[in-house]
Amino acid sequence: MTKHPLSDLDAEIRDHIERETRDNIDRGMAPDDARCAALRKFGNPALVLEDARAVWIPAWLDHLRQDARYAVRMLRRQPGFSIAAIATLALGIGLTTAVFSLLHNVLFKPLPFADSDRIVIVSETWRNSFGSASAGHFHDWTEQATVWEATAAGQAATFNLAEAGDPERVAGLRVTPGYFDVAYMAPAAGRYFSAADVAADARLVVLSHGLWLRRFDADPSIVGKTIRLGGEPHLVVGVTPATYALTDPSRSGVVGGFSSQLWTPLVIPPERRANYGNHAFLVLGKLKPGVALAAAQADLERVTSGIARRNPEEMEGRGVIAQALPELLVRGFRTQFWLLFAISGAVLTIGCVNIGSLLLARATMRRREIAIRASLGGGKARIVRQLLVESLVLALPGGAAAIGVAAAFIQYFVTRGPAFVPRLRDAGLQIEVLAFATMVTILAAIAFGLVPALRAARLDLQRSLRDAGKPAWSGRGHDRVRSVMVVAEIATTVVLLAGTGLLLRSASRLSSVPFGFDAQHVLTARIALPAARYQEAPAIADAYRRILEDMRASRGVEHAGAATTVPLIGGSPDAAVQVEGRVVAVGSQPSPHIRLFTDGYFAAMGIAIVRGRAPQAADIAATAPPVVVINERLAAALWPGEDAIGKRLSTWTADTNPEWRVVVGVAADVRTFGQAEAVPLELSIPYTQAPSGAWNAFQRGMVLVIRTRDVWPADQVAPLRRAVAAVDATVPLYDVRPMDQVMVSLTATRRFYLRLILLLAAAGLGLAMLGTYGVIAYFVADRTPEIGLRMAIGARPGEVVGMVMQQGLRLLALGAAIGVPAALLLSRAIRSLLFEIEPTDPVSHVAAVALLMAMTALACALPAARAARVDPITALRHD
Amino acid sequence: MSTEDHLSLLQGTLDLLILRTLQAGPAHGHAIVKAIEQGSDDVLLVEQGSLYPALHRLIKRGWITYEPGTSENNRSAKFYRLTPKGRKQLAIETSKWEKLARAMARVLRPA
Repeated sequence: MTKHPLSDLDAEIRDHIERETRDNIDRGMAPDDARCAALRKFGNPALVLEDARAVWIPAWLDHLRQDARYAVRMLRRQPGFSIAAIATLALGIGLTTAVFSLLHNVLFKPLPFADSDRIVIVSETWRNSFGSASAGHFHDWTEQATVWEATAAGQAATFNLAEAGDPERVAGLRVTPGYFDVAYMAPAAGRYFSAADVAADARLVVLSHGLWLRRFDADPSIVGKTIRLGGEPHLVVGVTPATYALTDPSRSGVVGGFSSQLWTPLVIPPERRANYGNHAFLVLGKLKPGVALAAAQADLERVTSGIARRNPEEMEGRGVIAQALPELLVRGFRTQFWLLFAISGAVLTIGCVNIGSLLLARATMRRREIAIRASLGGGKARIVRQLLVESLVLALPGGAAAIGVAAAFIQYFVTRGPAFVPRLRDAGLQIEVLAFATMVTILAAIAFGLVPALRAARLDLQRSLRDAGKPAWSGRGHDRVRSVMVVAEIATTVVLLAGTGLLLRSASRLSSVPFGFDAQHVLTARIALPAARYQEAPAIADAYRRILEDMRASRGVEHAGAATTVPLIGGSPDAAVQVEGRVVAVGSQPSPHIRLFTDGYFAAMGIAIVRGRAPQAADIAATAPPVVVINERLAAALWPGEDAIGKRLSTWTADTNPEWRVVVGVAADVRTFGQAEAVPLELSIPYTQAPSGAWNAFQRGMVLVIRTRDVWPADQVAPLRRAVAAVDATVPLYDVRPMDQVMVSLTATRRFYLRLILLLAAAGLGLAMLGTYGVIAYFVADRTPEIGLRMAIGARPGEVVGMVMQQGLRLLALGAAIGVPAALLLSRAIRSLLFEIEPTDPVSHVAAVALLMAMTALACALPAARAARVDPITALRHD
Repeated sequence: MSTEDHLSLLQGTLDLLILRTLQAGPAHGHAIVKAIEQGSDDVLLVEQGSLYPALHRLIKRGWITYEPGTSENNRSAKFYRLTPKGRKQLAIETSKWEKLARAMARVLRPA
């Protein structure tokens, strides 16, 4: 292959000079003179190289280079303007890019699993909610539906891991072997368990990459070793790749168990095959290629209606829904992320309008230069191009700085953002993100450069040359364009502020919702007893009784109790309730959340008993008649207008024979699942009277609740650990946190979004006000002679100020006239983020306009004051 | 603009001289310059360096091409030669130049 002619040109030049030197010597010159003469005759080699190179540069590129060089010179001449513009762009583009990185990594990028677009989660529905499925449903869906390539059932579980270090509780998932067919990624080591493996011996485990690194120091020979989980030896068969977990499992879990730290086989006993009433399993499947979600849904409905026909009572009101996993994973964040994107886009737009407005003002000042260029035959296209290149030269450093800004924001999102957002930690400056930043930079340059460039090219040459030295009376056209720009900024800001107002008011509504319990001076900690040594209910209850008795003796402890679910911690199954003496269709019974509780629990949690009493130790002896405590909502649902105390109900029975329990207390309603969630129906059963199978459903785990007096809750951590160790040293205590901290972390996500949105809105408002100030200040400078004249014939400073303010308010009125309807329209898009606030909430919209009015007045005040100080003599002489 | 016109005239002339020189056969850069200088009895003294941008211009237009070769002292050198297209162009340019020269002569020395 021939090399490019430029490639060895410098060698060629050296060779040329040497030949010439030799020729000169042959002609009788002294060597030094010969060389000098040769060099002289050749000319400047550097210039020759450059000229030769220039031959190969296309003409348009050469022009571009010239334009760029000129633009850089122009921008250097006005460093203040350039720095302000570059900073505005860096902020706007940086923010938009950072948010785009979130969109790209969380919403757009396909999940890492093979054919992830075919993975669906199948849930049973009941009225408006959907949830886990029964073993019967799982099997029927698997066997009778024709849409599947693979299906799997899973059940979240936590495991006591006592291998290699302190005992620890790790979150895992029990799965049928199909799980790894549904969500497949090549394992990092070993393999996944197959149906045959599980049939031979189910004590197998697949470790997550994270757990393998953290607990086993990335031991390369881990596969084939045995680790102890809950006291049982399990054979490690494989390790998942690092990206298999979609969130950092130590921080938070996601839908479908895609943040588990380990997986063990789920074996569904054959006798549960026909159980359609116990909704315990996560069901997921992979569709055959080419099967649409709607087709899968239709097929599953066919199978599910078959189940309903066979069990008409039990299936009353129940249905099925198949949801695409990628969609389901991000459903909760999509609106927020797009909202952030829209807001950062709005801030960038306002910034671009500001720069465009400044460029317009500058173009007015450069009229003469541009007119000269035009009259010298620089075509209009050439002038437009020159000005656009200037915009680009301004935008490129802005875009480059924006990459730094974006990196900082992304870092902030990743470390401080909501931990349960799948793949948020992947956010970074990937190639797609950089491409986006480049595109936005170029678009921004065109956006703020095009109007000034086109206007400059349309310039009336003669008048510009004639008037160039004079103040810009003739700049009215520019003035009007700039006013339109400011009106657009104000309208955008109205929308921004109204939306922020809605979110703020929604947040304040939400935070004023009473939780219904007292979080102060409370320590919580979780614990679960291993199945191997705690088979029977009495053994389990006895262990908890001993721990709590030990704690009650600790100094500073006022109350100690425990429950399987406490507010804001842990989930709970629900079960239908049957009321004594009442016959109700099975499907339409209320289905409260069930918890087991110990004596002392309600006092420790600070939950009031509004009727009856909280059962004491004597009430709840295993041999005493069974009792329950229900919450107010359940009492109202079961016995509206009646006293619930003394009534009997039955729930969670293994068969159809009721086990009657007496209601002895009605507890105050508590927002168990957070302030934004409705108060659930709740039913609490003493731990000593647990229905059969209940302890297994709760994994023999409880949340310990210690209320202290005169000492910090944290002071009880050590006594609690001692108390637990005294009962069983192998059982880890986990999630040890003061209750008030639990509440803070619960609202952390909401506060994160809110803080971000406030910051963005403030940036947008600030930029818009800067734009308003610019236009009004220009207006005053422009009218100085007129103002001087008015003052000379008797106008008072107050009238002058009024005239300036009127200008500002006119812009505001126009902006608001567009912005308010737009805000009313657009705020509907964030309805799902609002809590008990309508998108049309008048207070938010009025407050937005009022704030903007105050800020506009402020932006006009300085130019107005300057106008009032105009000295008529100077101003008139100036003209 | 005036300087540009001036340059382009010079360029055109140099281009023609290079094409003419290469008609005799392939040559390396230094040899082309020598041939021009000697062929014009040293009347046309080009700044030798300006030969190279001109060569590149001609390569780009496809009028000449080059191949790597070895010069007498065993250095690598480029040998430039005319392409068929360049040969045609040489004929066009030569006749253009002759027309111009005749016209100039008539104007300057009316018979």
